[in-house]
This record gives sequence, structure tokens and C-alpha cells, in this order.
Amino acid sequence: MALESGQSDVEPAKGSRFAFFRRNPLLFIVLLFLFLLVSTFLAVLVGTLGPIGPGEPEKISLSDAMYAILKLDGDYPAYYTAVFWDVRIPRVLLAGLVGAALACAGTAMQAIFRNPMADPFIIGVSSGAAVGAVSAGLIGLTTVVGAFTAPMLAFVSALVTVLVVYKMGTVRGKVYVDTLLLSGVAIAAFLGAIVSFLIFFARDDYHQLIPWLLGSFAVAKWSYVWILVLPVCFGVCLVFLFGRELNALLLGEETAHNLGADPEFLKKLMLTTAALVTAGAVAFTGIIGFVGLIVPHMMRILVGADHRALVPASILFGASFLIWADAISRTIIPGQELPVGIITALCGGPFFLYLLRRSRTSGSMS
Amino acid sequence: MRIDVSDLSFSFGVSRVLKNVSFTVGDGEFLGLMGPNGSGKTTLLRCLTRYLPADPKAVFVDMKPLHTLSDRQLATTFAVVPQSSSTDFPFTVREIVTMGRIPHAHSRILGSRAGDARLVSAAMVASGCDFLADRHFSELSGGERQRVVIARALAQEPKALLLDEPTVYLDISGQLEIMDLVKKLNKERSLTIVAVLHDINLAARYCDRIALLHQGRLEAIGPPSDVLTPETIQSVYGVDVAVRKDPFTHGIYVMPRSITTSARKNGARVHVLCGGGSGGPILRQLVEHGFSLSSGVLNVLDSDYECAVDLHIPVVAEVPFSQISDETNRGNLSMIDDSRAVVVSRFPVGPGNFKNLEAARYALDNGKKVFVISGLDLPSVDFIGGRADACLRGLINAGAVEVSSVDELTRQLGVELEALK
Amino acid sequence: MEMTVGNKGYMTWIALAVVVSSVTAFTGGYYTGAITTDGDSILLVDDYGRTIKLDSIPERIVSTAPTPTEMLFAVGAGDLVVGVDTYSDYPAEVANITKVGDYTLSTEVIISLQPDLIISSDLVPISQLELLEDQGIPFVILATRTLDDVLKDLRLVGILTGHVDEANELVDELEDRIEAVTSKTQAVDLVKPRAYLEYYPYWTYGPGSFGDDLIALAGGINIAENTSSEYPMLTSEFVIAQDPEIIVYTVGYMTTTTADEISSRPGWDVITAVSEGDIHSMDDNLLSRYGPRIVDGLEDLAALLHPDLFA
Repeated sequence: MALESGQSDVEPAKGSRFAFFRRNPLLFIVLLFLFLLVSTFLAVLVGTLGPIGPGEPEKISLSDAMYAILKLDGDYPAYYTAVFWDVRIPRVLLAGLVGAALACAGTAMQAIFRNPMADPFIIGVSSGAAVGAVSAGLIGLTTVVGAFTAPMLAFVSALVTVLVVYKMGTVRGKVYVDTLLLSGVAIAAFLGAIVSFLIFFARDDYHQLIPWLLGSFAVAKWSYVWILVLPVCFGVCLVFLFGRELNALLLGEETAHNLGADPEFLKKLMLTTAALVTAGAVAFTGIIGFVGLIVPHMMRILVGADHRALVPASILFGASFLIWADAISRTIIPGQELPVGIITALCGGPFFLYLLRRSRTSGSMS
Repeated sequence: MRIDVSDLSFSFGVSRVLKNVSFTVGDGEFLGLMGPNGSGKTTLLRCLTRYLPADPKAVFVDMKPLHTLSDRQLATTFAVVPQSSSTDFPFTVREIVTMGRIPHAHSRILGSRAGDARLVSAAMVASGCDFLADRHFSELSGGERQRVVIARALAQEPKALLLDEPTVYLDISGQLEIMDLVKKLNKERSLTIVAVLHDINLAARYCDRIALLHQGRLEAIGPPSDVLTPETIQSVYGVDVAVRKDPFTHGIYVMPRSITTSARKNGARVHVLCGGGSGGPILRQLVEHGFSLSSGVLNVLDSDYECAVDLHIPVVAEVPFSQISDETNRGNLSMIDDSRAVVVSRFPVGPGNFKNLEAARYALDNGKKVFVISGLDLPSVDFIGGRADACLRGLINAGAVEVSSVDELTRQLGVELEALK
Repeated sequence: MEMTVGNKGYMTWIALAVVVSSVTAFTGGYYTGAITTDGDSILLVDDYGRTIKLDSIPERIVSTAPTPTEMLFAVGAGDLVVGVDTYSDYPAEVANITKVGDYTLSTEVIISLQPDLIISSDLVPISQLELLEDQGIPFVILATRTLDDVLKDLRLVGILTGHVDEANELVDELEDRIEAVTSKTQAVDLVKPRAYLEYYPYWTYGPGSFGDDLIALAGGINIAENTSSEYPMLTSEFVIAQDPEIIVYTVGYMTTTTADEISSRPGWDVITAVSEGDIHSMDDNLLSRYGPRIVDGLEDLAALLHPDLFA
């Protein structure tokens, strides 16, 4: 990754307090990577039982935790290994994967729509997935066919929805992003009504859907991690590799064409990638808002708009962000879990506003 | 680089936007594409960049058919500077210019090539935007942005630069700066330039040749002096113009003349000979009192000219700082022929506009009522050693009416024209 | 407010019940569900149609819903309960028991409690229970939805916890109390009042729901008995048209309704129950916790509907 280090003897970006990271994106990305590693490790230590957490009904000591995590022989209850290896580690990894997927998809969508307010759900992924998940609950498939039914149905219906929205926004093979945007909004509203309708008639099964509808990592298990890891890694790599072309696309499709980046190919590739990783992520964990919208924004303020730095920064920070949001969601109220979506909005909103204010008051940034 | 366009046609659905256009752009040439709105200039440019799918056998670059080039080859052949560029995203100038290296990238994973940073800096220096390198693109002025976009185009290392009305949103100094820059690149780097331009004089000044499009057809192509004749401009733009030699650049200067030829609305017309700001108050008051007016001969930058244009008064105009030519004088006299009365304001008279006083004499001799604003006792505005004053006295002696104020002029003109009815 | 689960698994359950109960001898004919015991090991089919095999009688039980919690304590197995959900608040002893979450369970806390059985209701998302099953902790789902289910599930809990005798005694006592009510309320010549039982403004119990069952047993006519949903939201004019003779609203921690609020609803002054002041409140827990307390609810409701019979 040879990024411009931007060594220049002229004035730095006028007054921007974050100019340091913009000038050293590689350093910033390395720092974010270290932050992700530390976050992953610390988050594994976070839980109701501790070592970091309320420690109710008992507290795991740090040394026991380390022994259990490293699966070393030691004088600790055997279930410690299960707590770390079957509950927390898959959960932290799933949160990281979903965070990376949503942040990356959000970055790609914002580039495709040339609109900083776009998010990964803008073309109907969330509403489509919700219809699938709620239908699965309503017709009782979860209990009959098994735990993978709801995720599968959510994934398939998310992709079908995206396909419909995509078809609406396409005329003779050309993707019109404004039509796409409007179709996405209209279809999301329509499907939202269907979801409400289904929930109205599925009132008792509704309880089964609550964690999914609010977004939760409570159901995390290794099989989900294994299913998601390859598609998400592949997807985020793809978005990163086309970072340069995404830059060009932000200046308009004609400019992108004139710079040798085929805008039609790029739009289709990015829409497909973003839809796949988003649908895969939400199928298991439900709709987790805010990450895909806010993380690319934050990173743009810190590291600039160049996608070759922005995409890796968003992926790494999106993963860390959701890992921490989940860690907070499962410990902030002892014995209970707060839906992670509440945490992402509660933490992300003010932090984002702070960054926005800082960058605005320092007289730069758009 | 040589560009051959041969029998190029293009349609949006049923509407044919380009019809059998053929021309050649020579290596290192500066070609201006001109024509009224909707004549197909931008479409032609987009056919060259393949943004619009043209007939593959219609465009050749260096004898190679356009469609044989890959997207990246195309982007290293042509670099495009659009009318304006903007983005909602906080790109720095350097990042924008670096995008010009996209078609040269070897590998997706390794990112930029070794020499990229140097080439980007060089491009910024060449287009004079290196001092903006770390500023945000979105906070630049229109002219600065165009410099940045030109730098990006240079970073593409293209063989030809295509510009689509690059100065349309710029003020006059910005227009000249950008055009000077493009001309410099054209000269110093032998960069072939194809520029869509809307300003005829800008085109005349900078282009080696001009291609004039009209309703999708190539109306004329050749050096500005051959293409920009009053006849072709009249037929393409429907505007009556005078074409002059520019006193400063020795190029040609095209100047719009009366757009409305006759404005005889309420009865007889009054022709006002004025200049140097002396005519403004007269023109305004007479218009307010419902007189139909014409005016002449005024230099384009004269405040009386501006005033007449503002009041929609037909005016016989002359190139700035130039003597009244015989042709213009004939226009003036024919305006007088169409008028009932002529007013001579107290304008500064020099050798350039002495013909205006001679025109007053012509009016008198042809039976027109002539009014002279008095003030011979005021400090002289005669810059030709008394000849002007003498001429004015001669007019009064020969029957011109001397009026002491604009109010009196209005009154007398009213009486005069009433009597004519 | 507890909800029931449509018919899923129910038919399976009945089918299996018929087959398996025919070979069930040990349970003394009380428990009518599907269960076999062989020595210490227990094989049963729960209300989701799942077959669960326990090698021995559980000693550490986690209950993830109020109904199983109350049942466990009612059959005298409260000392086996090592964890309960945050909604369980009856009997008072549960306050000191470790809390394991609500709709979202705290998986690691449950693992740390090392239970050998989880008893849950159909409110808890099954995907989380499956996560724990993967850890070798079996779970049983009780989808209690009628008064008969309460009695059946109490016996089941008794068998699961080795408190068969206590459970049978309790069920016998409850049956006696139910009989005491229904013997009066099911009399042929009894005039049954039209009743509106509201658990949230305009929301009531429809056909197939616990509330509908209780109104019928308590000798009333549910004005919503012919609606299309188990928990319908009624329109104001529907209630006016049905003209209930008695209105009962529940009082719980979510309640905002009062008798004054109900009688002041626009147009409701023409309703018989309102004009005669026949508006009463009931403890929400007696109607929504399908444990032994539901019989208290039946008795209270019968007394409200027929004050003359239960003076």
C-alpha cells in the first residue's frame, strides 16, 4: 500500500487540526490496526463475569482469564474456557466482521451515490432482510427447519430487494443513482409497512424477533463467524482495490470515465459487493444502524476523502467501533443486554458531532 | 497527436445531434469548437472521449480507430477539462491532481507508481496551482479549480487536451488566465488542444483554427479570420456583428451591433449624437417622455453606449478606442435617414469621433430638424483645436436649434414632432 | 402480558402425547403429556415438539420466564433454581437469585451457573437457547396457553424436579378450587354478563387466548370472543356496540388506565358498564403469569362477574 505521504514544503491544509493524519495516512492505518487488535483482546475480557465488567454473580480473575483464553492448564473452573471460547470470542469476532462489513459498504455506497448521507441500507438491504426474518418467524420456520432458516431467508430476501431496487434504477444497462436512491427509499417504505403488518399478525412470535429487529450479537457462534469471514474479507478487499476509481467517481461519472475508470462497471461491482456483505452481516445479527453512515464520515474527517486511505481506515475503525459498542451493550446494565444499535447511536452521534464541530471551527472541511 | 473525424453522426433517440461531421485536428494544433447552444459541440467532444458511443469507424487518433483503445489507453490519449468541477467530499488539491495518475497505475495493490508524486507536483507547478496543494478543492474559487483540473489533466500525460467551455463560469481575468495557460501548454508542449468555447473573441484570440457547428453540421472550419465573418456569424448565430482588427492583439475582434434594427414605436424617431457620458441624461429623459430613439456613433466601452444598451435604444457602435470607420459612419447616416430629428449633445470631440459632427451637418443638409445642446460658453470639450466649436457654430448658423437644457430640448422636440403629425 | 404461540408444534405435541402417554405408567396417570422415566433418566417432548433426554433429575435449574419460575416454586422446587430472568418477581425469594437477562439472555452468566436444565417459555428467542444447548445445557419450553396447560405443566415441572407428590397435591387443590368456581358459573340457567377485559387501552383478549378462556370459565361472555386475533385492538365503536355490562382492566407496572379514564372515553357513557359504574381493576400478574396464581385470577374474575354467587 504505497500511499502518498504528501511531503510538501508548503502550508498544511489550512488550519485543519487533523492534518497530521491526512499527511501520514499509512501511520494512521497502522495505528487503527493496532487499536483493533487491542480492542479485540480487551473486548474478550469484557463481560458480566469480568475480568472487565460487573463481575456478577462471580468475578473471573485476570490470570484465570488469561489461562482460559490461552487454554493452558490451571486451577480454574472448566466452564471458563466455554465462556471465552464459545461465547465471547466468536461474539467479538462477529461484531468485528459486521462492523468492518457495514463501514466498508457504507463507504462504497457513499461513493457510488456521491452523497455523504448514503448508508449501506440505502438500496433496501435492511427492509428486505427484515421481511425475510419476520416471515421466517411468522411461519414458524425457525423451530421446524433450524436456526439457519431466518438468516438464510433474511439474506435471500435482502438480495431480492436490492435486485428489484437495482432494476428500477437501471435503464438500458445504465445505472442512474438518483433513480436508484428514490427507488430504494420507496421500496424501503413499502417493505417497512409489510414488516409492521406481519408483526401485527405475528404478535406472539414477535418476541422471537426482538433481538434481530433491534440488532444483537447475542446469538453469535463460531458457525456464523466461519460463514461470514470469507465473504466479508473478499468484499472489503474488493472495495479497497478500487479505491482510486471510487475517488474519480466522486467527481462525477463523466470525469471517472475520462480518467479511465469505467463508471458503469464500478457502480455495478460496488453495489453488488456492498449488498452482499451487508445482507450477510444483517442476516445473522439484525439491523445495526449508524455504523455504515457514521464511520466513513469520521474517517473522512480524520484521514481525508482519498479512498485508498479511507477504505482501510473505515474497515478497521468500523470493526473496532462495533466491538466496543457490543462490549458496552452487554455490560452496561448488569445481567441485561442493551440492544447494540442504541449504543452505536448513543456513542457514535456525539463523537461524530464533536469531530464535525472541531473540523468546522478550524475553518476547513466539507 | 492527430485526430481524424470522418462522417461522424450521433443521435439521442430520434433527434440527430451530429450530422456527418468530418474534420482533422493536426498535431499540436489549437482547435476551437464553436456554435450556438445545442449545436452539438459538447456531444462532439463526448464522442471523442467515448463517453457517448459514436460510430467506431468515425473517429481516429493517430490513424487508429478510437474503439481499439482500452479505457486506460483512452485516458492517456485524451484528458478532459469540463466546464466546472465540484464535489461534496473533502479532497485536497493534491488528491484531485493525483487522480490523473489512475490510468497509469500498474497494480491495484501497490498503489501509485514511484514517479507519481513527482509528476503530480510538476503538473501543479505547470498549471500554477502548486501553492494550493494542501487546500481543499471545495473551498477554491472557480478559476483556481480550473487550474487544478488542468493540473489533473496534465498528470494524465495525455496527447491531447479536450476542454468544454473551460471559462464559462469565470470572470474576465479568470478567463484570460485559463486561456493563457492552455495556450502556453499548447505552445510549450505541443499539446493538441480541442476546446469548446462560447466567447467568439476569446476563440478568435487563442485558436489556430475554429470549427463552427450549426444544428449538428460543421458549418465552417479554418483560421478565425476565415470563419468568423459577419456573414457566417449572421447565418449561424442570427446576430449582426462587425468584425474588426483588434488594435492590441492584431487578431480579429467581433462586436455585436444593433440587435433590433428598427424601433419606431410611437411616431417619429429621434437620433442622438453623443459620447463621453454627455448623452446619458438626454437618452434617459427622452425615453421617459416616450420618444423613440436611436444613437450613434458610440465606442463600446463608452458609458453612453452602456446607457443606450440598458435603455434598449438601437445604437451604432464602434470598437473600443477606435476611430469611427467609414462602414460605421454609413450605419450612423442611415439611422439619421430614418429619423425625424437629430440631437447633438455636448460631447468631447476628438479626431476619432469628428464624423459625428459631420453627421449632424449631413442631417441638417437633408432637411432633418437638428437640436444642439448649448454651452459654447462652457469650458471647451474640443480636442481638435477649435474645429469642433467652429463646426457647431456652423450648424447653428445653418438652422440648427440651440437649446439650453434637456428640459427645453424635450419641450421643443415635443412641439416639433407634434407639428410633424 | 404473556403471549401464546399459534399452533406450531402443538399438533405434533398432541400426536406424540397420544402415542407416548399410552405407554406411560409410572407417572400415575396424572401427567397427560409425553414423558417416560427409566430409573433416573427422563425422556420428554416439550411444547415445541422437541424431545429432551435428561440423564438424571436436574439439580441446578435456570428459569428464563416468570411462568416457569412460579411453577418451580409452587411445586416446592425453588431451592433448585439457580438463575431467573429479570422479569421473574414472584415469589419474593427470587429477588436473591442470580439474574440471567430478559429476551436477550446473558449466555456467559448461565454457563457460569452450570445448570443442568433450563426451563423457558416461548417468549425467549430460541436461537439463544440453542447456543446454550451447544454447551450441553438442555432446555425445555413451556408454551402454557390454557388453564389445563397450567395444570399439565405443573405436573411436568413436578416430574422434572422430582417433586411429583407436591405437584400432584397442588394440582388437586387447584382443580378443587376451579371446580368450586365453575360449578357455579357453568350452571345452565346462569345469566352471563357481557364482559370487556382490557389489558392496555383498547387491547383485549380474543378467541384462543388465556383471558378468553378465563372469562368463559368465570361465567361471562367475552365481547371479543369472535374477533380474528388472539390479542386484538378494538375500535371504540365496537366496544360501544357490544355494550359490555362489566369492564375489567388490569393493573400492572405498565398501567396508565383508571376507571375514570375509561368512563370518560368519548361516547362510552352509553355503555351499560359505564352508566352503572361496573368498572373494576385486577392485578395484571394474576392474568398474565400462567402459574398457580392464575386460579386466583379466575376466582377474582368470577367474583367480579357474579358478586352474588361469591359473596
